[in-house]
Amino acid sequence: MNPHLSFFLFLILSGVCSSLSAESRDEILRKGKELYHGAGSCVACHMADGKGQKGNIPPLAGSDWLKEGSARSIAISLRGLAGPIQVNGKKYYAAMPPQLLFDDEKLAYILSYVNNAWGNQEDLVSKEEVAKARRELPQDVFTPQTLLKKFPFDKKYSKKNGTYTPTFDDTLTEITKPVIYRTFMPGASPAAFAVALPGNHYFCWDAGECRLRYVWTKGGFIKSNQAHWSSNGKPVAEFNGTPYYRARTTLLEDESFDELSKTNMEKPIYDTSQADDFPIRLKGVKETPSFLGYQLVEGYPKFRYSLGKHTITELIGMNDKKTGIVRTFTISPPTEAVLQLTPSAFASINCDQGKSKPDGTLLLSTKESSHFSVSITPMEETN
Amino acid sequence: MPGATAPQYSVTNIPAPPTKYKNFQIDGLTFLPNGKLVVCLPSGEIFFRDLKTESWELFAEGLHNPLGVIALSNSELIVTQRPELTRVRDTDGDGKADDFAVITDHFGMSGNYHEFNFTPVRDKQGNYFFALGTGSRGDGVRTITRGTFNERGRPGRMHSSAPYRGCIMKLTTEGKTIPWSYGHRTPNGLGFDLNGNLFVTDNQGDWVGSSKLFHVQKDHFYGHAASLAWKEGFEGTPVDTPVEKLAKMRSRACVVFPHGTMANSPTKVLAITPRAKMGPFTGQLLVGEMNRPRIMRVMLEKVGGELQGACVPFFDGSPLGRGCNRMDWAPDGSLFVGQTKHTWAGGEGIQQISWNGKTPFEIQNMELQEKGFKFTFTKPVNREIAAKKETWPFSRYFYEYREAYGSPRSDETKVEISAIHISQDAKTIEVELAELKAWHIHEVTVQNLTSSSGDKLTNNYIVYTLNRLLKNTPPEPLQIKVASKDSKGKKS
Repeated sequence: MNPHLSFFLFLILSGVCSSLSAESRDEILRKGKELYHGAGSCVACHMADGKGQKGNIPPLAGSDWLKEGSARSIAISLRGLAGPIQVNGKKYYAAMPPQLLFDDEKLAYILSYVNNAWGNQEDLVSKEEVAKARRELPQDVFTPQTLLKKFPFDKKYSKKNGTYTPTFDDTLTEITKPVIYRTFMPGASPAAFAVALPGNHYFCWDAGECRLRYVWTKGGFIKSNQAHWSSNGKPVAEFNGTPYYRARTTLLEDESFDELSKTNMEKPIYDTSQADDFPIRLKGVKETPSFLGYQLVEGYPKFRYSLGKHTITELIGMNDKKTGIVRTFTISPPTEAVLQLTPSAFASINCDQGKSKPDGTLLLSTKESSHFSVSITPMEETN
Repeated sequence: MPGATAPQYSVTNIPAPPTKYKNFQIDGLTFLPNGKLVVCLPSGEIFFRDLKTESWELFAEGLHNPLGVIALSNSELIVTQRPELTRVRDTDGDGKADDFAVITDHFGMSGNYHEFNFTPVRDKQGNYFFALGTGSRGDGVRTITRGTFNERGRPGRMHSSAPYRGCIMKLTTEGKTIPWSYGHRTPNGLGFDLNGNLFVTDNQGDWVGSSKLFHVQKDHFYGHAASLAWKEGFEGTPVDTPVEKLAKMRSRACVVFPHGTMANSPTKVLAITPRAKMGPFTGQLLVGEMNRPRIMRVMLEKVGGELQGACVPFFDGSPLGRGCNRMDWAPDGSLFVGQTKHTWAGGEGIQQISWNGKTPFEIQNMELQEKGFKFTFTKPVNREIAAKKETWPFSRYFYEYREAYGSPRSDETKVEISAIHISQDAKTIEVELAELKAWHIHEVTVQNLTSSSGDKLTNNYIVYTLNRLLKNTPPEPLQIKVASKDSKGKKS
């Protein structure tokens, strides 16, 4: 036998036979891949391409955290890791729960796959290694501090990998479930909502006038809630984006959001008792709307308000592709209704019921008014 | 005046809730029927704490500065937040709130940061009361305001340009929201006594010479001018109204907390109930204070048909924290205190105050007599010390009623002691004064008094707000100061 070949065989046999019962490397990686992509498994957060989610879930593809042996990643998988970490110079906020559903063998398959997927070139992991760690590691969930004390990085990695002190805004970089705050927003009465939806679409809804004010997606969610929370409550929230939808009102001209953020006015531009252009008109109803509250439907806000003897609900969620918002209305008892929307050069507006006019008016019959939806999608997302 | 906390009471820190934000100020605090602690934070979060398992759970989030909470059931809270009185409910039983219903938003908001919505309380009939702070000259109003803007309420240091700012509001069982009383500045703390009388505190400032406790009665005006803009029949701009006219309209405080010595920023009012385990003080009121680590005890009596009485520090100094803002009784009868600051003097955190069941040496009560005051102590006193006139260095003064910020002590005078009578059991001492002057605050720092067994008196600084005498009360003086035109509206 060729001495090189026999050495190669020895490596394979000693490395694999002892731990994974003579399965081939391909077989191991195939099983690992299957488990990784299983429903509700690793893929849900770390994604099929192993790149994770910006600001939230760290990548596995090319991660320095997989280097220098597998002890660290075995420990994280078994005990979990609570706390923000830095991976390859970028910040990730979400916590990793302990992976209690997988036995030693399955976890070894998964970690072997992760170590060798997407261009990674690390060792295979044996079930004995996992079993030993499961026996010997402390029971507590790791914090970045306790983990890195036990499994420190070599100097060449430690600059770009470790932990950091997050701000609250860091936690809102990638929106995975709806976030609802009542806070001061520019261009709304002081009784305002700021809402962030999965897919990173954001809107301001004004309880003072029971209406959607504006929707944006770029530039991130509001920034100054932390200032609001730690201070006397004065700050008006800021956001960096430009709304792709902004409802027109007759009482505001084209004031900028900076102008509308002012808190030091001698008197207001207008007060809500003067508001006379509520965007929903019901046949024979002259009253102005009253805010009744909101319900969380799988975390999404379903606002409700009364108009005369009618109750209107407005559930605001995302479209299926998460490229824009969908407002689902009910009017009870139903009646002939007119909804005034504001045509936008930056968004396409579609209604599933009624007759839409170019000026943004939506005419609804009594039947149609009982349940209808309006989707608002930014243009560049629809192209 | 430094007091202390009697050694019969212990103060324990409660671990902070796992808030998403690094700020542990407590703006609302109560208990569920099942005994869990409820706290509201500036971040808009509401947490429950199981005191047995010592674990926190998040109940609700996203509220706008919730500053008070009532628990109607284990899954239903009433919360005051800036824009509303809100019913917060868990309707699907998963332990998290999913429905936020407006109970009332029939009041205005100019968007000024100082327009806090303080402490809901509920009477036995089911009516709610809540307290609307005025806006501050530290800022103006927002570009869009809620409710009819009223220019008459806008001028002045603390303003009321949006409906009913500076009023105590009542939400009736029929669902009507009405201004119940007027003339409040920063009414951070409503509470009932055991007889169902409603009280509210107010903070020193413009029109408020020193911080106060008011007995809240329908349609009364308590002195801060701005909210008169909303009172039916009141004409003109409140701050331009002659101060004589306002002084004649106002109702007096039942207790004044002297600024700098007793309290600068009083908070919640909480009655000592029969189930509270706090010593022999049932029926009296606790009142929190923001600026120093202090909770006061208030004892009231009806004189000439109106309530008046005394205040004394009760829990004072470390380990109690500053910023004692909200309080309630735990199922075991101990007191839980939530602390806050919102950029003012104060603190953050939760503390529990427990009593060991042994009697502290304190002034149990101070009552008006024809010629002086009767002090009742929790233990027999040292007769020899109590009998000395120099043990009782009384003084009296009043605070002016004026638009300018605060007031100096006016007409401060030492009052001679004419006689001292000590009861058979040495627990009651009648101190007769050479003169008792109505409509004046009477205070004393009892000197070197010990119990008969040698205990030092824990809290010896006590202040009685003497409005009415038992007999022949003279007409109420105005005690006003007219602002010169130049100084008007400027910081004094």
